[in-house]
Amino acid sequence: MNEGRLHPITVAVREIADIFGRMGFGVAYGPELEDEWHNFTSLNVPADHPARDMQDTFWLGDAVATGVVGGTSAVGIEDRRAEDEKNRVRNVMRTHTSPVQMRYMEEQMEKGILPPYRIIVPGKVFRNEATDATHEAQFYQNEGLVVGEGISLANLKETLEQFFKEYLDKDAKVRFRPSFFPFTEPSVEVDVWFAPVKDGVAQAGRWLEVMGAGMVHPDVLENAGIDSKKYQGFAFGGGIERLIMVKHGVNDVRNFHSGDLRFVYGMDTIPENN
Amino acid sequence: MKTSRAWLQKYFENPLPSADEIADAITFHAFEIEEVVGDDLIDVNVLPDRAADCLCHRGIAREISAVLNVPIQNDSLRAETPVFRPTSTLAVSIEDESKCLRYIGAVVRGVEVGPSPAWLKEALESVGQRSINNVVDATNYVMLDIGQPLHAFDADRLVEKDGAYSIRVRDSRPEEKITTLTGDEFTLPAGTLLITDANSDAPVGIAGVKGGIAAQITTATTDIVIESATFDASLVRKTSQKLKLWTDASQRYQNSLTPELAAYGMKEVLELIQKVAGGEVEGVVDVCPNTDGAGTSVGRRESQNGSAGVSVALGKINSVLGSSYSVSDVEDVFNRLGFEYTSANEAFEVVPPFERRDITIPENLIEEVGRILGYEHIAPVLLPKLATAPDQNRYNGIERIKDFLIDRGFTELSTQTFATAGEIGLANPLDQTKPALRAGLAENMQNALTRAVSVAPRVLGPASEIKLFEIGTVFKKDAEYLSLVLGYKQLVGKQSATLLAEVISQLEAEMIGVAAERPAVASAEVTEILLADSNLAQLGASYAPGKIRAGAYKSFSIYPFALRDIAVWTPERTEQDEVSNIIIGIAEQEDFELARIDLFDRFSKVIDGKERISYAFRLVFESFERTLSDEDLNPLMDKITSALNATVTNGEQWEVR
Repeated sequence: MNEGRLHPITVAVREIADIFGRMGFGVAYGPELEDEWHNFTSLNVPADHPARDMQDTFWLGDAVATGVVGGTSAVGIEDRRAEDEKNRVRNVMRTHTSPVQMRYMEEQMEKGILPPYRIIVPGKVFRNEATDATHEAQFYQNEGLVVGEGISLANLKETLEQFFKEYLDKDAKVRFRPSFFPFTEPSVEVDVWFAPVKDGVAQAGRWLEVMGAGMVHPDVLENAGIDSKKYQGFAFGGGIERLIMVKHGVNDVRNFHSGDLRFVYGMDTIPENN
Repeated sequence: MKTSRAWLQKYFENPLPSADEIADAITFHAFEIEEVVGDDLIDVNVLPDRAADCLCHRGIAREISAVLNVPIQNDSLRAETPVFRPTSTLAVSIEDESKCLRYIGAVVRGVEVGPSPAWLKEALESVGQRSINNVVDATNYVMLDIGQPLHAFDADRLVEKDGAYSIRVRDSRPEEKITTLTGDEFTLPAGTLLITDANSDAPVGIAGVKGGIAAQITTATTDIVIESATFDASLVRKTSQKLKLWTDASQRYQNSLTPELAAYGMKEVLELIQKVAGGEVEGVVDVCPNTDGAGTSVGRRESQNGSAGVSVALGKINSVLGSSYSVSDVEDVFNRLGFEYTSANEAFEVVPPFERRDITIPENLIEEVGRILGYEHIAPVLLPKLATAPDQNRYNGIERIKDFLIDRGFTELSTQTFATAGEIGLANPLDQTKPALRAGLAENMQNALTRAVSVAPRVLGPASEIKLFEIGTVFKKDAEYLSLVLGYKQLVGKQSATLLAEVISQLEAEMIGVAAERPAVASAEVTEILLADSNLAQLGASYAPGKIRAGAYKSFSIYPFALRDIAVWTPERTEQDEVSNIIIGIAEQEDFELARIDLFDRFSKVIDGKERISYAFRLVFESFERTLSDEDLNPLMDKITSALNATVTNGEQWEVR
């Protein structure tokens, strides 16, 4: 019998989860339909603040339960609704995977589990912006979060460099440029240097902007109930489609979630025996 | 923020490096650069944390000074707090002091409105602004220079009562209207903050956003009232959003300008107006409700410990950055940034200048140290080892289901979350035909299956069936769920009515508790089940997903493919490749592609006492430029037929059937 194929996102996430797994990262999940608190406010993006403009947002039309995955959340739907009402919380399609940082930390603290934490969050996110060959209104991000004692920007650099060496190019290098994200301080843009392979031939190396990152803002830790005097951490997040596009030479991001069989068969996949 | 190198130069005694070199230094120590045009225009992408101080040339010059470690000169914000001569010919009142934090008004008499001098025109045009007249240009120049929005009203168009003009900052009344300088009339939403002429009760401007046409500066203007004010940031932002009117002023106000800046703005603009348009300053009214009156401590955001300063220890800096900087390294950064500080026992107490509203916690100072000294100096350090293994169980559970399905020939698809109908709607859909969130995956799968059938010969070759699946989030009124949908279509022979049900049964037998409920949609072609979220982690607890290596992507044409079949008799012991290589060799000469060649039939037969083999191939052609027609394919097939018929092996002629 013919084997079926995995979608390129799955192929990439397996590689990503494998690499980060060997560095001690778990895989965490959260809802795609988020509340304003987790998507924005708890991450230091207050209402009526220009930082909200950094991400074009899909808002939901009517009040519905959120934060409930598979009906198993600790917070009941009625409770959540009452809470939403109290906070005048509106619902959004999550604009990034960062709200899962907050949900994960809240959940651990509720269980009484203190850091160290180390997770990645591969998942679908939504941006209300016009689509073209390099922009889609829905795409996947991979988020990373590390919290512990004495975690530093130098750890972030090593972690990302190790990831890109394994995922993109054994000679990959990482560099940081200053940036701003409300939920990290300091914040950096991450560039990776690598030599893309085209038709089996390594091309000239180049720098490519691949993700945003930084040290978790102490307010974010405190919002999750974590003592920011004792613990610090880093976080990062970037698009998965973009990585696949540069790694495998996909030319149009709109192919990914088009339900088109031709796209899935666009790259040959070979099962790997460890 | 568009900046001009020539403009920036006024802040430096020595010549600045080239625009490209400046851009490079800013890129790695301060901000992203949108673009550099020629050797002058540098477009800096100032993000919200620094918009209060860096949406102006002075702010960018301050950054360049710190980054390149060259002294800044003519920094007007470091001059003494301006003191103005009071006047009784202007009254200013503020209805709600939480909305207008400071309003400085000045009366200037006897200006001569006309064209700006060349240097002023050139400066504005160098950053893409249009020159209007000397008075308006002066207000724009000062805004682009030090960041304070300013506005000039024609005093002759204000009503003078008892020898005084009267400005009142108040909320709009129901249905109140204003026509802006650009001639656009707005009916103002409730709560819009207005600048009004109190003597006539008429609006003359939308606070922080745009001036009104009623008191516009014209060539006939001789007396003017200048405004340098501070408005509440989120109020200006809301007004801009409601009116869909974003201006240079509102962009700055929405980022929490400090009330201190208003005084410097007024001082600079009064000097410049007198220089380029003449006139005499009659006097200034400064209403600054939220201070002790001295104007020096207004608006300073207090740090967490309640003092104006922010403290950080060297140990914390090095712990967060993973660096080994010394006290003098850190002091060097604070000196370059022009921060006041005290340094003792490897700790620093910093009083940031008033315009640096972003510096409120120790981490803000750590970022300053990190970026000014340069992140290239941060050496990678391995994370500490963890005592426990990472938890990837839920993920492994989901991947286990996928592996189960690909083992049974199912191929994974991914489809759009937005749908024509669902249980939950979007308030602002991008595509008006898809205003809802999908409540299931079945509809997308049905569509994908139909499309898969049409592309199957191109993708799968002469396959007898198509099997697809998707695992994705669906949105129901009560909650969101992870759902699994299967699609199946028999291309040759009879569609099995039970195959999908059997696959689901096998799945449930192998993975107890995988399904949350019975299939929501069950047909011979499409079946969907909700996955039981609570059991996924358990399913993955001792499972490692299969590893897959993927090759380079080969894109497909957007034009339809074309099919041709060809069968040929060959002598015994003829290999399949011998035939296909001839076909491929001929097809390669065309300007379109033989996308795939599949053997779909092979049999042997004794003819005239000799064993012969028949090979039948299906050829799939496509072009990336056009839809292929018979004119493309018939001549090619003729060539292939001739070539095969002309082939002789083992002394025997081949024969196309």
